[in-house]
Amino acid sequence: MLGPTERIAFLLLVIVCGGLATHGFLRIARIVRLGKAAERTDGLAGRLINALIDVGLQRTIAKARPLVSLAHGFVFFGFSFYILVNVNDLIEAYVDGWTTIGAGTLAGVFNLLSDLFSVLILIGMLSLLVRRFVAKPKTLEFNSNVLLQAKAAGGGVRRDSLIVGVFILIHVGARWLGTAFHLAHNGHGDPWLPTASVVAQGFAGMSPDTLELAMHICWWLAMGLIMVFLPYFPRSKHLHLMIAPLNLALHKSTPHGELDDVIDASAPGAKTLTDLPWPSLLDSYSCIMCNRCQEVCPAHESGTPLSPAALEINKRYWLNANSSSLLAGGESPMLLDFATSSEAVWSCTTCYACVEICPVGNAPMFDLVEMRRSIVFEGNAPDDLAEVLRSLDEKGNSFGQSARRRAKWTRGLDFKIPDARKQPVEYLWFVGDFASYDPQCQEISRTVARILHAAGVDFGILYEGERSAGNDVRRTGEEGLFEALTEQNVETLAACEFERIFTTDPHTFNALKNEYGDGVTVPVEHYTTLLLRLVESEEIQLGDGSRGKATYHDPCFLGRYNGGFDAPRALIEACGTELVEMPRNREQSFCCGAGGGRIWMKDQDGITERPSDNRIREAMSLGAIDYFVVSCPKDLTMYRDAVKSTGNDGKIEVRDIVEFVADAMGLNDEPGDGAEAIPRAGDEAEAGAAPANG
Amino acid sequence: MSQDVLVVAEHGQGKFDDITFEMLGAGKALAAQTGGACVVALIGGSDLASQLGAADKVVTVDGEGLENFNPESHSAALAAIVESTSPRVVMIGYTSMGMDLASALSVKADMALAASCLEVQAGDTVTAVSQLYGGKLNVKTDLGAGPCVVSMLAGSSPADAGKGDGAPATETVAAPATDGKVRFVRLIEPEAGDVDITAQDILVAIGRGIGTKDDIEVAEELAEELDAAIAASRPIVDSGWLPKNRQVGKSGVKVTPKVYIALGISGAPEHIEGMKGAATIIAINTDKNAPIFNVAHYGMVEDLFDVCEELTEELQDR
Amino acid sequence: MNTVVLLKRVPDLVEDLEVDSSGTALDSEHLKLTLNEFDDHALEQALLLKEGGGGEVTAVALDSEDVDKMLFTALAKGADRALKITGTGAVNGTSELAEVFAQALGSVNYDLVLTGVQASDDIDGQLAPTVAAKLSVPCIEVITGVEAGDGSVTVHKEYAGGVLAEFEMTLPGVLGIQAAAQSPRYAPVSKVRQIQDSATLDEVAGAGGDNGKFSIVVMTPPETGEGAQMLESVEELIAVLDSKGVI
Repeated sequence: MLGPTERIAFLLLVIVCGGLATHGFLRIARIVRLGKAAERTDGLAGRLINALIDVGLQRTIAKARPLVSLAHGFVFFGFSFYILVNVNDLIEAYVDGWTTIGAGTLAGVFNLLSDLFSVLILIGMLSLLVRRFVAKPKTLEFNSNVLLQAKAAGGGVRRDSLIVGVFILIHVGARWLGTAFHLAHNGHGDPWLPTASVVAQGFAGMSPDTLELAMHICWWLAMGLIMVFLPYFPRSKHLHLMIAPLNLALHKSTPHGELDDVIDASAPGAKTLTDLPWPSLLDSYSCIMCNRCQEVCPAHESGTPLSPAALEINKRYWLNANSSSLLAGGESPMLLDFATSSEAVWSCTTCYACVEICPVGNAPMFDLVEMRRSIVFEGNAPDDLAEVLRSLDEKGNSFGQSARRRAKWTRGLDFKIPDARKQPVEYLWFVGDFASYDPQCQEISRTVARILHAAGVDFGILYEGERSAGNDVRRTGEEGLFEALTEQNVETLAACEFERIFTTDPHTFNALKNEYGDGVTVPVEHYTTLLLRLVESEEIQLGDGSRGKATYHDPCFLGRYNGGFDAPRALIEACGTELVEMPRNREQSFCCGAGGGRIWMKDQDGITERPSDNRIREAMSLGAIDYFVVSCPKDLTMYRDAVKSTGNDGKIEVRDIVEFVADAMGLNDEPGDGAEAIPRAGDEAEAGAAPANG
Repeated sequence: MSQDVLVVAEHGQGKFDDITFEMLGAGKALAAQTGGACVVALIGGSDLASQLGAADKVVTVDGEGLENFNPESHSAALAAIVESTSPRVVMIGYTSMGMDLASALSVKADMALAASCLEVQAGDTVTAVSQLYGGKLNVKTDLGAGPCVVSMLAGSSPADAGKGDGAPATETVAAPATDGKVRFVRLIEPEAGDVDITAQDILVAIGRGIGTKDDIEVAEELAEELDAAIAASRPIVDSGWLPKNRQVGKSGVKVTPKVYIALGISGAPEHIEGMKGAATIIAINTDKNAPIFNVAHYGMVEDLFDVCEELTEELQDR
Repeated sequence: MNTVVLLKRVPDLVEDLEVDSSGTALDSEHLKLTLNEFDDHALEQALLLKEGGGGEVTAVALDSEDVDKMLFTALAKGADRALKITGTGAVNGTSELAEVFAQALGSVNYDLVLTGVQASDDIDGQLAPTVAAKLSVPCIEVITGVEAGDGSVTVHKEYAGGVLAEFEMTLPGVLGIQAAAQSPRYAPVSKVRQIQDSATLDEVAGAGGDNGKFSIVVMTPPETGEGAQMLESVEELIAVLDSKGVI
């Protein structure tokens, strides 16, 4: 189709633009290699295949924002097909007489798909532009206290979106119109090109020369524009269409709940940009700046200066502006100077929601942990956190209490829990700090003990031999203290005989299951899993009767981190309680705000709404609900406070799952009130806690 | 060595601190046991001597450099008084000024010393009871026959017993020369605070047991509901959560409200010193062994967050 | 300016304190020691002075349970040298402790000695003024602010009610620190462990001891008197407040 001059011109364009783009991509590769080492290339073929499947099925995108995801799907599937279209158009340009129009059934199908996809892309792209520039969703805005690079804050992301949106409209629109001109030139429509045929009717009166010229202009607008855009891509967020599949393939493959080890023990964590492991640098190139991470971030939601999106955007903008000097050996910038603020670093609850939701496989949370590691190592941990870390170091618990009083909660029981250090047990119960020391949680711990005792389970605890498992210590970046706690616990465990470990605290569960390495080789489970198994094997007999309406909050470290979604729900329902889901459930559960050591730190100044308050309001929006059910000691304290602070006292009751189990077992019935036979005597003192709706 | 008891008066900004009268009262009682006189050492501020009517005798040292307390010159002056009076027992306040004097005197004059004392007895030997280990233990020590130094906790005896309208004899000792290694520069008054907690009828005081700044909020809500002011113990002020003018205790202010509600305050002696004069003390603490329960009139072993919330709500409903 | 910080380990008050069968000493079996919190402030103040104007910081402590970790922690925080005084055994009171420290300081080049204003077990007075008297150098207690000058320091001494007195003190001298200009920094365990592997503690044999001039007669928990009347519920609490006419 193209004339000789045009062919040479296009070839020159390919060489110049392709060269510039290649330079841009190589530069990115060199930048990424400046990052610290990380093991992400094991089983590369499998990683790539899985990533392509995820991308092909749009799995990571479909997790949220259904309408936007649909529009994106139009553009994505359209462009996937457009690879063929572009190849065809190249052939058409360089092979005289080549055309798919009127060339048989196979070509017809190709034409039909190109015709339909063109329209879908245009619809998808227009919708996305309308959303961004007309509807202006709040979610694309940042809290005013979020640190953002000047260019991004000045509308850089919007401009980038507009440029690429218009590029897509022109590229696809021109190709579509070009076909219409072609049809008009032919003088008749084509049933394989339904929409183009309709448009072609409008060009019916034009002269063949005009139509020929229009076809050439459209070809250049469609194909030439791609070339012109190639060098822009490495600087644009639309680079994601190339980097995101790669980033998904190179995603962390170890368990979610296992943090990568410190790379350089003499200077742990990340102080400067290139202290970050290389996947973190790749993240910034992968980021599409959609703010989905920010939307699910409990810290941003509560008005803190943390935005995981801004972190990635800042990294990217800094690199766009300074990659040359960095590659020339220039100084790597301090992360706290440009990427995020210190207050933001300490706002993270390490709830994993940002990593879970990211459609392009980014993990901003890990950057924050790396930054914490460096800050803590340099002795700059916040004062309130430092005091707790000191207590954990000296006393093995975060409560600043005597290590000897760890098992004091057991004194309220009318039986003695076996000391696993002195006798073999089947189950070793790793109780955890909150369940041991917090007065409200102690009550729950006693209930767990009474249930297991009644069920005849052979279990024991470590008494004062137990130390904090260190899950949150590690997430504050205090790697050395985490190691010290681990060593002490492993030493204690090594001297005991047991077959399995169960925990009350999902945080403890995560650490023992994922981060103790060879120190824990037996299966580790959360008590909800154990209790459900006992119910299913009928070692625990649950009575009949309805026990109200409840909603369940997935704790981050049980649910999102370790996939423990079903056992708690099955238990609640087995106890005769009707379960109503909150809008944000399972993987999308909203963090209570306590994780990552946040529970040890004071609220930041100027927060708008605590995550736990936000969550209680979500539960209250469900209508008449009797119970807010939790399966984490920290949740119990966080949400009982939140019920009060949101003024919902008396309207909803925060209960641990075990309280339902104890009720359904009849453990809380007054002796002699005709309740079902109780295997072993219950605790009379507890009799007041009868179910409100029982 | 005489059988006299020497009470070291403490004053600042033109008036005696309460501790002076408290010790004067205790010193008279002790002098009755030793059979000696109760002598007051007045360093600087000799114009205040007329207020020491309860003393048997007043020995003053005055002169340039003694108007304001100076650890070096006041130590030297005290040593001179001790040398001239040779008392059996020297009573010094367990206060900021007293800490500079007592130990130095003990070493230089080779006298036994008991610090943080609640009471002192004299028989063949002098015995003292010190409140130590954060108020968790009282330690009774034998200081030998004497001479010895005891540094007395503020509030360990009533100030009224040290007031009287006698006209004790006054003796003057010459101010000894010093090396001038410590030089007084100036006094810095605390910035005037928004609230004077010494003038409040009701105080809600918070201590280390408060977990986070959120807890302060619930305490503040409770205070508002009770029309009370917020006070605090030292750790809360040190961590910057409340301003200095809210601090009760040894390094803060002494308060005497009608009702003092202590939230999460364990009751270190330094704090108790500042609030034991409250008419009613209500302590809420999760540790049932906290020393605060020894001075409180009412106690509750509960999580303060819960109590505050519940109490605030109940009060709002009334 | 070279600063020496005297660090003392005291019984951890979080633990239950039990008196042994003699009635005159703490039961060592249940005793857990921890750094005197005011000494931690003294160390912090010394580090701040060093960061502000140079000089060396030496941390000095008597050999006792876990003292090595405490001294390595001081090094991890930024102290230049740690000196452990060995072989003294248990020390009876502040006076004897001060004597041991004073002797040990003979081998150290210092301008300023900092230590905590007091400790929970100060039976016979405070360490700062006692050491100063034994070294015949000036001392000021209850310090909340220190500024280094030329051959002297300018300090703020705290009185009751938050009134501060500013003094100038010629060096060498001793200060009893009530609070450093900032909360004591946290030494990360990994850094402490690294220091433990790479640094050594200097040791000096302890000398001195004057056996004090006092003897302990008996240690007892304070009499609770009537003690507090314990309330069981918020309703009871309200009744009390009501009876006092405050609501």
